[in-house]
Amino acid sequence: MQKLFLQTLILFIFSLTYAQEQTKDSTVVENLEEVLITATRTERQLSSLPLPAQIISKKEIEAVNSLRLSDILSEQTGLTTVSDFGGGEGIQMQGLDSQYTLILIDGVPLVGRSAGTLDLSRISVGNIKQIEIVKGASSSLYGSEALGGVINIITEKPKFGFNGAINYRFGTNNTHDASATLGYRKEKFSIDGFFNRFSTSGYDLVENDFLNTVEPFSNYTYNLKANYKFSEGTNLLVSGRYFTQSQEYIASEELRGESSIKEWNTHVKLNHKYGEKWSSYFEFYATNYQAEEFLNDSEELLFSEGDFNQLLIRPEIRATYNPNDKNSFIGGLGWNYESLERTDFSTKPEFNSPYIYLQYDANPTEKINVIVGARFDAHNEYQSQFSPKGAIRYEINDKISVKGSVGYGFKAPDFRQLYFDFTNSTVGYTVLGYNQVTTRIPELIEEGQILNVVVPITEFEDELRPENSVSFNLGSVYQPISELKFEINLFRNNIQDLIDTRVIANKTNGQNIFSYYNINKVYTQGLEFNGTWKINNYLKISGGYQLLYAKDKDAEDAFKNGDVYARLTPNSSSFQLKKDDYFGLYNRSRHMVNTKVFYTYKPWNLNTNIRATYRSKYGLYDTNTNGYLDDYDEFVEGYAILDWAVNKTIFKKYELGMGIDNILDFTDSQNINNIAGRLFYGKININF
Amino acid sequence: MKTIKLLGLIVLFLGFASCSNDDDITETLPVESNLVQNLHAPQEGEQGQPVFGEFVKFNFETGQTTTSDTDWDIALRGTIILINGGEKTGIDDEPNRTGNGSAYIANGTMGSVISVDASRLKEDTVNSQAIPTGSGTGWYIYAGSPTHLITPIAGTILVFKTHDGKYAKMEILSYYKDAPANPDAFENFDKYYTFNYVYQPNEGDTSF
Repeated sequence: MQKLFLQTLILFIFSLTYAQEQTKDSTVVENLEEVLITATRTERQLSSLPLPAQIISKKEIEAVNSLRLSDILSEQTGLTTVSDFGGGEGIQMQGLDSQYTLILIDGVPLVGRSAGTLDLSRISVGNIKQIEIVKGASSSLYGSEALGGVINIITEKPKFGFNGAINYRFGTNNTHDASATLGYRKEKFSIDGFFNRFSTSGYDLVENDFLNTVEPFSNYTYNLKANYKFSEGTNLLVSGRYFTQSQEYIASEELRGESSIKEWNTHVKLNHKYGEKWSSYFEFYATNYQAEEFLNDSEELLFSEGDFNQLLIRPEIRATYNPNDKNSFIGGLGWNYESLERTDFSTKPEFNSPYIYLQYDANPTEKINVIVGARFDAHNEYQSQFSPKGAIRYEINDKISVKGSVGYGFKAPDFRQLYFDFTNSTVGYTVLGYNQVTTRIPELIEEGQILNVVVPITEFEDELRPENSVSFNLGSVYQPISELKFEINLFRNNIQDLIDTRVIANKTNGQNIFSYYNINKVYTQGLEFNGTWKINNYLKISGGYQLLYAKDKDAEDAFKNGDVYARLTPNSSSFQLKKDDYFGLYNRSRHMVNTKVFYTYKPWNLNTNIRATYRSKYGLYDTNTNGYLDDYDEFVEGYAILDWAVNKTIFKKYELGMGIDNILDFTDSQNINNIAGRLFYGKININF
Repeated sequence: MKTIKLLGLIVLFLGFASCSNDDDITETLPVESNLVQNLHAPQEGEQGQPVFGEFVKFNFETGQTTTSDTDWDIALRGTIILINGGEKTGIDDEPNRTGNGSAYIANGTMGSVISVDASRLKEDTVNSQAIPTGSGTGWYIYAGSPTHLITPIAGTILVFKTHDGKYAKMEILSYYKDAPANPDAFENFDKYYTFNYVYQPNEGDTSF
């Protein structure tokens, strides 16, 4: 691999010294206003929004040579990728876990959270126009899951005429990423296809066992999108996506098998304008996510198998009404149908959830923008949810503006939390969905599998409540000169009825039975700061910081009341902990910092960048068994990741790139399985 | 097992101090504070299977194990702790209760639990132990896979009424032989108790 890297380096240096035709790029494309759709479901200028939002441009994605969505998101302020025990890489936003961030592609959601996390490495960034991030509860537009925020991936539209691109990147761990796009567009019609293949031999952080940290896998993404303009005001979009992945699945020396994923999405959208003021959208979306896995023993006999098959169908109509320049309304009406078949479910549950929403966006004066909206979600399995939101932005002058928003967010209990009935075949622990406890525990007692019941089953007679949150954001943007911009945002999320697992019974085999329950109250609060400085046409520096306090209120009380104890070593006497000794929720870092330097040298058609992200210490487990994460627990130490990339365009159509991810070769085999160590890579792009 | 009579840590001279009257000749005995190391409480039968075997019995007054059928305060086998009071709980091979013992679990440190809350004292009864066995319900947490460690819960003080009506408090420090600072359930022998205890030898005195 290193040899290949060196060859690329030599080729690269060669291409640098190669006499270039010094074409001066005279096109002025700077300072085009960035527009996003996620925050209001209407096109809005990013700078005029009353909500905390961010756009990651295609330019940045290409400059840093990202492959998967997880790569690019983990470099953004206040976001960190956390790996789930199911192996997926999810995103933590404003200190909220990955299951509370809604992930959309072109405005419609991805499903397939087998263990709560939507694996972001599933999503190739090869055909992305931009990634839109809206922070803070957004259930007033999007319903369930939009508790911490929304990430919307906007795919690329083809340019006029016939065009395409081929990209290939290779790197350490035999990682190959090849993609091709082909597009055609004329006046009324456009079509484009995208293909991506990703494969890696994985990596191993812990030697001397039979398992790799990440087993070899490969996946394919196919995307086809067509657009037809019947008339100036009528447009039809048809889009389909198919994703398939297979990975070796090794549980021990004897037990080996394979896991695979198949996912498809279809999206049809017809929009029509009725004159200047009214327009309507008819949308139909369906997606299916299937995951299968099996293990064979040493004699090739089937040891265990599992499958997961989730279907979501969503028809929606929405309309916008713009009576004048200063006011606009958007409203929608839709239905979610969801079903899941899963190995460890005793039933095939179905969710039916009709919903309605309305939003009013107003500019009473030039300096003020107000958004108010609300959504109502009915549901067949849990209580209906009403999610209001309000936001206001005030422009003090050209240089400074303030904005604030309050919103309600919720996440419905998922199928797993209600219907799971799972016993780990190798270790022997059991996880029961909330609705299963009252029937399964008596059965297990009957079978003699229970040593003792820790939580009485009478506690499971009421419904499990949706997790919900009220989020507050208060921010300011200060732009003293056009090249310099500072943004600050204070946030607070008051989360209630958070669903967590706990031990509800001990089994006679020495293992435990877990189930889900509503923790009373949790909050996350902190501040986010972003700064960007375009020093000149060549050099841009940006930096970001997030301060975070994420705490359980009951735990805070327990510390305050002096009910929590610890020992310095497991064999020493215990002592009482003080209020300040409570660290907070697991897997939350108090400080996260990033710095990026982008340098473009136009005469050479070259751009290079160096990016650093830092995450301060965090706790993964209660290592001193007092039930809380306190200062006397063992922590995962803070770490920094440094990345470097360089790209150069030659003969206009070709681009060569290379880089090193994780230059410092940071790994933590004990605690972090999604950081692979230093990665060298080279890439080539051909545009036509 | 060895018992170290560390020191009579807290010596209560209450009696002496208030004793201006020579007629009052009741002598107050000093409270004893001791460390017991490596009290071995083996069991037979594997984890997850039915367990059996004789209990090891301990007497707070002598600070020693005993084979006596009557002069014992607590009986240990594996993670199970029984008291000499009440009735048989129904466990295999458990000793007959002959005394007036009872117990409860207090939250605190050895320093902060300074008196007995008599209202909380419970005897062993059928299917119910005064000191329950089980991860998170009694004196320990069982970590499960992969470490399988048994760790005494910090802030858990076991308060006992002895078979003959005296009081003792106890903090278990380790379940592993020689109380290693970083025990390893696969390397260190388990079922070896190390604990601190304080014994109040004066009849009816509920303070420590």
